[in-house]
Amino acid sequence: MDKSLMRRLLWPSVALALVIAYPLLFSTPFQQRLGALVLLYAIVASAWNIVGGYAGQVSVGHVVFFGCGAYAAMGAYAHFAWSPLVGIPVGIVVSVAIAAVIGVPTLRLSGHYFSMATIAVAELVRLIVSNTDYLGAGVGLSGPTVPRNVFDLSFISALPYYYLFLTVLVVTLGITWWMADSRMGFYLRAIRDSERAARSLGAPASRVKLYAFMLSAGLTSVAGTLYATMFGFVDPDSGLGILISVKMLIMAALGGAGLLFGPLVGAAILVPLEEISNNLLGGKGAGLTFVMYGAIIVLIARFQPGGILTLIKRLSDKRGGRSEKADATGATHAP
Amino acid sequence: MRLKHVLALVGAAAISVALAVPAAAQDKTVKIGAVFPLSGGAASAGVHAKFAIETAIDIINNAHPELGNLPLAKNAGLAGLGGAKVEVVFADNQGSPATGQNQALRLITEDKVVALTGAYQSGITLTASAIAEKYGIPFVNGESVAANLTERGFKWFFRVTPVAADFARIYSDFLKDMKAAGAKTDNVALVHDNTEYGTSVASVITSVFKDNGASISQDIAYAVNATDVQSQVLQLKEKKPDVVIMIAYASDAILYQKTMQALDYKPPMMIADDSGYSDPSFIKAVGKISQGVFNRSSWSVGAPGSPSAIIAEMYKKRSGDELDDTAARQMQGFFVLCDAIDRAGSTDPAKIQAALKATDLKPDQLIMGYKGIKFDDKGQNILASGLMIQLQDGENYVAVWPKTNAEKAPEMPYKGW
Repeated sequence: MDKSLMRRLLWPSVALALVIAYPLLFSTPFQQRLGALVLLYAIVASAWNIVGGYAGQVSVGHVVFFGCGAYAAMGAYAHFAWSPLVGIPVGIVVSVAIAAVIGVPTLRLSGHYFSMATIAVAELVRLIVSNTDYLGAGVGLSGPTVPRNVFDLSFISALPYYYLFLTVLVVTLGITWWMADSRMGFYLRAIRDSERAARSLGAPASRVKLYAFMLSAGLTSVAGTLYATMFGFVDPDSGLGILISVKMLIMAALGGAGLLFGPLVGAAILVPLEEISNNLLGGKGAGLTFVMYGAIIVLIARFQPGGILTLIKRLSDKRGGRSEKADATGATHAP
Repeated sequence: MRLKHVLALVGAAAISVALAVPAAAQDKTVKIGAVFPLSGGAASAGVHAKFAIETAIDIINNAHPELGNLPLAKNAGLAGLGGAKVEVVFADNQGSPATGQNQALRLITEDKVVALTGAYQSGITLTASAIAEKYGIPFVNGESVAANLTERGFKWFFRVTPVAADFARIYSDFLKDMKAAGAKTDNVALVHDNTEYGTSVASVITSVFKDNGASISQDIAYAVNATDVQSQVLQLKEKKPDVVIMIAYASDAILYQKTMQALDYKPPMMIADDSGYSDPSFIKAVGKISQGVFNRSSWSVGAPGSPSAIIAEMYKKRSGDELDDTAARQMQGFFVLCDAIDRAGSTDPAKIQAALKATDLKPDQLIMGYKGIKFDDKGQNILASGLMIQLQDGENYVAVWPKTNAEKAPEMPYKGW
């Protein structure tokens, strides 16, 4: 085997082995659940990364698709007593359709205007759902609390969730990797760097952006279904609140937006940080958790806007004394 | 030599006793988990809940013979567990159902709590109690009112508070009595926000009134955290309902009262559904222009020197605020849980569950104005009830209905400012 390929595969394989072994090394229920949550948020942030990172279209309304998946799962149970897993196909269909409908007009907008339009859509959907009795209005919908069979995915241990989420994350990253390496990936990066230049060279910018948006929407919806299934509940704030959109963005940006493993790194830092700081400080009731969370975000934005992976890459390049050409998943600044 | 030996022996014995006593006492703490919104939009409610529970811990862990028949007050600690002290581990749910569930899991598995209480917001109580159910840990809720909480077939969930339907029945009975006394109560208007709380309470009131042969003639919904409610008040002014029922959180409640004064609108009778109209900030801001508003409550301070008045005083010393209905209901829920642990004489969850099921507290053993505490198969307290209070002087609510609990007679019509 070629030496450089071996070196390239070394770290990802070590990481994968660690991720698979994690629940065995950290075996208390809370640690296992923490691991599952990291993977769940990594899925969400990776899905966002396709359109927000690779295509550079910063959507702050992605929670709409998350909500589609979550509501499809809980709705399937609440209204038809079906397994919440039904939410996966239903959520994908609905969210891809919504992505197409809102993508056509909003993706014509550039920069901040696209972000603002997506926020508006997300808030609109949240308000509509808050007033729709069929979707539980303000009360929300709950899932099976006492599992009827294994398809209800209601487990005491977090272990089954952990490996389920890991599988979905691997699939999501696989799709992202495949997309980034395809013609579409090159178009997207060209559009991100300069949409006008990409268009003038004949890249079908509108169409490619829309495809990326729809792909990202479908994957986000799957994460929404998994979330609702694990927690057994969704209401307008937890399923459609703007905070979730912001979290996706922050995790991807922290790890490195537009990089394959960026969102995973971001989630692996932020989720434990949030949970552990809440464990240590939350009971005091001083709201210190969010202060710390906010401070870290400010520090990242100020000193390392390209994300942590970019920093690591730069440091290792410097040490190795080689000036690697910017490869396909090259370092860029976060949007 | 001999004396030396004896001394050494006595010394060693004394040391071992000295070492052993604190160790034994440490073993005898009962850990209970409490999940509340200590940060985020509902932080005020969560922080006050924390004060309420800390007050209750003081009462349980120290001797308070002045509190009469209140269980656990007379002696220090839990008599059923040899005087064991109660310790509460607080956790912040940050207003998120997911965080609430994570924290409940942490309390159960890491802190090894024997029971849980919380979590204020109904949606979070729902997810947090689901994890307790899976682990077989008793969850006692003192304050969440969403109807579905006790409709899930849970075996480990117990709710002490009255729910929306109980309150709706109170309004209906109260209005019947007022009608008999000569007030006009035919046209009832509902004003509510679009949150879970506002919409669910409004729909329950509508259906209960319907069952009692009355009807709601006007239903006005508005977006929560409103910045302008002139059009809503003008709608009321135009239709002139006999009774207006307000279901609003504090900031909206204050805005409504100010707007009503600005537009010079006074309904003949105004009833508020607790929450905003009971908030200390409401009374400070607009109490003087809201004189005569009725409100529901299960909490009433009672005569000076009575157990509830003493507890209210203890709470005020700790928190700096008056004990409000919500915090009092949370405190009551916590007392019910500790009483069950005491009677169980054990920290075994199954024994606590059995003791909760056997709970039968009488009105004189409660701090709240319930008819008692007794759980049905679903875990709902069937003796929960409430009373009507009125803000007669613009500063303090007084109990006015039913007659047995009334401190003063209801004043009519609504005075305003």
